[in-house]
Amino acid sequence: MSDKIIRGKCWVASGYVMAYDIVVQKFWTDPIDKALNSKFIMSGVSPEFDKENAFKDAGYTFIVAGHNFAGGGKSIEHVVTGLMGAGIKAVFADSFSRLQFRNATNYGLPFITVKDLVSICQTGDELEFNMETNTVKNLRTGETRETAPLAPFVLEVAEAGGLVEFVKQKIADGTAHMLR
Amino acid sequence: MAGMTITEKIMAYNSGRDKVKPGELVWTDVFSVMTMDYLGKSTFKSLHELGKTEVFDRERVICVSDHLVPPPTPAFATMLNEWRQVVKEHNIKYFYDLGRQGIAHQIMVENGHVLPGKISVGTDSHANTYGAVGAVGNAVSVTDAAVAMAIGKCWFRVPESVKFHITGKWQPYVMAKDLSLHIMGMMHWNGHLIYKALEYAGPAIEALDIAGRMTLCNMTVDLGAKNGIIAPDQKTIDYLRPVQKGNWEMIASDPDAHYDAVYEVDVTNIGPTVALPDKLDNVVPVEKVVGRKFNKAFVGTCTNGRLEDIAVLSQILKGKQVHPDVNFILVPASQQVYLDALRAGYITDLVEAGVAVDTPSCASCAGIHTGVAGDGDIVLSAGNRNMKGRMGSKNAQIYLTSPAVVAASALSGVISDPRLL
Ligand code: SF4
Repeated sequence: MSDKIIRGKCWVASGYVMAYDIVVQKFWTDPIDKALNSKFIMSGVSPEFDKENAFKDAGYTFIVAGHNFAGGGKSIEHVVTGLMGAGIKAVFADSFSRLQFRNATNYGLPFITVKDLVSICQTGDELEFNMETNTVKNLRTGETRETAPLAPFVLEVAEAGGLVEFVKQKIADGTAHMLR
Repeated sequence: MAGMTITEKIMAYNSGRDKVKPGELVWTDVFSVMTMDYLGKSTFKSLHELGKTEVFDRERVICVSDHLVPPPTPAFATMLNEWRQVVKEHNIKYFYDLGRQGIAHQIMVENGHVLPGKISVGTDSHANTYGAVGAVGNAVSVTDAAVAMAIGKCWFRVPESVKFHITGKWQPYVMAKDLSLHIMGMMHWNGHLIYKALEYAGPAIEALDIAGRMTLCNMTVDLGAKNGIIAPDQKTIDYLRPVQKGNWEMIASDPDAHYDAVYEVDVTNIGPTVALPDKLDNVVPVEKVVGRKFNKAFVGTCTNGRLEDIAVLSQILKGKQVHPDVNFILVPASQQVYLDALRAGYITDLVEAGVAVDTPSCASCAGIHTGVAGDGDIVLSAGNRNMKGRMGSKNAQIYLTSPAVVAASALSGVISDPRLL
């Protein structure tokens, strides 16, 4: 399997998922650390995740959600680092909160716009995300949806380990002005 | 080939492209970067993490003291001292510190640091305000701002555009704020406008002065939009000419540009409007809440702290007295606004009427500076946010409305309709 194809289990949101519920208030001032931030990730979304490592141990690779994922105007980066720490490799949604979309891109976690994926997925379904063909397929049902194409720099940022490292390298090798 | 909206054009031209499509991610040039006392030190720290000690252009990184000035506590005073030192170390040309201060978004527009057709970013959510002069203004994180400071670029997802075509005639004492709140009630803060470029156009927008356009664009962030924008016209040219910090070209949407949606609003039918406590989109015409008691009146902020707003206060309060049960605080949005209001005689009128005038800052808007709300306070505010605890105590209530409604109500001590004065 090429590294442009990821497979794994998905968790499907049943309603609007707010940043405040992905990371509940008592953790907002924690240091940014993927392992730490993932411990109680999603604990406000559902009582089943309100136990240490509950979401992480469920072993999801993808999140599938509807409108304005991680909205509510909270800019805390713990949302993204926590999801990454819990093993999430991509989030698909009809739309995203712009603050968290920026955080996700800056940390290298693809937040990908897909219309209405929620309607063809159930929690636990195995999905295949193909970054070359810009598609996501539900392996249980065989149904496929097109995703918005991922800009090349999103993957480069992920490979570099985040926006700061990515830009730092560009500055160091004198190519930052070429970013388009 | 279909045309482009003003926001699409600005994103395309500033990224060296002929065309962009909504959803596309592009790196664009950034004309100016704003940071302020509250987050500025961390932004410069991030700059250093990128391996840079100098900013990309010392005339285009703008530093402002607004959230914490003058410092009310020793901790804030220390933060400000550290901030000043960091700004000086970076040889920043435009540093609007205490004495020359103002709310950053006001400073950026009033001093021509944002220009039509250009992109500016700031480390504060209401950077959308810059759209009032035809710029794309966007709030970004400390990391994004540091990248922009380092290389003069920022990445963006090109937003879908939504147009509000506003027609009709503004009624007496109806302000841009009323239209903003009306649209908030129409669209809801978590609705269709999330992540969109919101473009205001039409004869009723052309009739607005730059101050009113700033109010409208300012509150697009509270509607969830990525940016708010109004195409530049003769008023923009006249406003910017004496202050502009660079050259620019007129830019507007193509007639055949594609919009995700177009909404028509006739302002003739809009009266003074109020958002009820806790929820921005719980909006009613003032008639519905006339007679409700409140004890604090507040006019200021990047939404409604401008000369034109203060003029309305003076028009209503001159020669009269604020009700004894009401504490009225006015905070001009900048030293320039303050000075202009002094020279116009408004400040005299308002102090005589019993209004307390505080030095320009964000004041109680974010609940961390002067004039905050305590338990049991009911605030009638011309600011922009009314969630629980926003202005201080969680046990206070905040009604949001226009400066005209605040002034009319301050006379009687209960919410009042300025049209009936
Ligand atoms: S006035 Fe209020 S909304 Fe505007 S920048 Fe200051 S704190 Fe933010």
